[in-house]
Amino acid sequence: MSDQREAYQPPNSGSGRSYAGPSAASGTMHYLCAECGVKVGINKGEPIRCKECGHRILYKQRTKRMVQFEAR
Amino acid sequence: MPSSDHVDPRRVVGVEAEIVTNVTSTDFPGHWPNEDHSWGIDKFKNTFRVEFHRNTPLFAEFDLIHMDASIANTFRRILLAEVPSLAIETVYVQTNTSIIQDEVLSHRLGLIPLVGDKKALINMQWFMKPASGDPPQDPTDDNTIVLHLSAACERIPGVSRSETDPHKLYTNASVYARDIVFDPAGKQVTTFANNPVRAANPNILIAKLRPGQEIDVTMHCVKGIGQDHAKFSPVATASYRLLPLIKILKPIRGKAAERFAACFPRGVVAFEADEETGEKRAVVGNARNDTVSREVLRHEEFKGCVELGRVRDHFIFQIESTGQFDADELFLSAVSVLKAKCTVLKRETHRMLKKQALDARSGSGNAGPKKGDRGWAAE
Repeated sequence: MSDQREAYQPPNSGSGRSYAGPSAASGTMHYLCAECGVKVGINKGEPIRCKECGHRILYKQRTKRMVQFEAR
Repeated sequence: MPSSDHVDPRRVVGVEAEIVTNVTSTDFPGHWPNEDHSWGIDKFKNTFRVEFHRNTPLFAEFDLIHMDASIANTFRRILLAEVPSLAIETVYVQTNTSIIQDEVLSHRLGLIPLVGDKKALINMQWFMKPASGDPPQDPTDDNTIVLHLSAACERIPGVSRSETDPHKLYTNASVYARDIVFDPAGKQVTTFANNPVRAANPNILIAKLRPGQEIDVTMHCVKGIGQDHAKFSPVATASYRLLPLIKILKPIRGKAAERFAACFPRGVVAFEADEETGEKRAVVGNARNDTVSREVLRHEEFKGCVELGRVRDHFIFQIESTGQFDADELFLSAVSVLKAKCTVLKRETHRMLKKQALDARSGSGNAGPKKGDRGWAAE
């Protein structure tokens, strides 16, 4: 399965669907709260903390980039 | 069906309690003195028979009679591994936040049997995978089928709080094979117009989702053979067994006949009224249904009453199709695959002999055959 990783294809730019990266205008990154599951937007310099419940563990979201696999 | 009385004993494999006798076939030249067993196409045409017993799109059972085991096995192996069929080969995952990992999801998708317009599928070209390092080959409308699957799970608003059924609580709680949609490209719009590519069985569960989870994948299907991966095998199973043979040597009457029948699957032993005593007497009914479990040989009372066997050149062939092609069509494809292989072998053999003859002719001028070299064209 390791060779499948090499078949990774870069995203076609301009699709506008990559919200995993910081959006160019605001620099806001979205994470998922480990406690309550809510989507948290965090700007540069802000404390890493859920705005709903105050939990300090946040998960990075899965990439929206396309990944290629062999159906084997 | 050959009744047990007139089957040539040379054709019978004996099945005894602890041994199987007379296993190998002997109908080849040089085995029996003063008998001609040479193979000839006319002889084969006259003796060979095919009898169909069941023929449905997904299942066919037929008999190949007077055929050598090697050829029957060839057909079975070709059916499993060399008749081409369409399957999902590459999966492009845009999003997969379900609990099924991308690799596992791709594997599951690959194994889903697909159906579609048969003629268009047969006319599809092979997609040649470029060797590593070579530039990737672009898929075209005559070698690739594109499918999409996208499903997002959300809560359905206004559902009672006591509800526990996930299908009533959420949208797309289960993703099924019927959610796969075909995206025809180019000429596929017309060739697959009446019969689009879809899963053979719409109810195959692919993944389960919970609110917030989403699957969005694009799949490329190509033609392949079972040798490469089992997903390309067009048959669920293809197998054969030899026709069972039961020979009742002594009459078995009355209660014993019932006990005798109980040793076999239902229908294998039938009853007749005995001419002498008027009691019921066991006769062979449908020997085909027998599993040759040899149960009857374990009973002391039937010792010497019955002989079990199988007919060596009577193959009961069973083909289960996965749905892409009809089971009987698959057998014909297997025959044409074998024919194509034979044509190649014949051509290459001719080429080889021709080359050897030419080499010998040109080589004789300067060198001459080496010591101990008894080549084909030495003359």
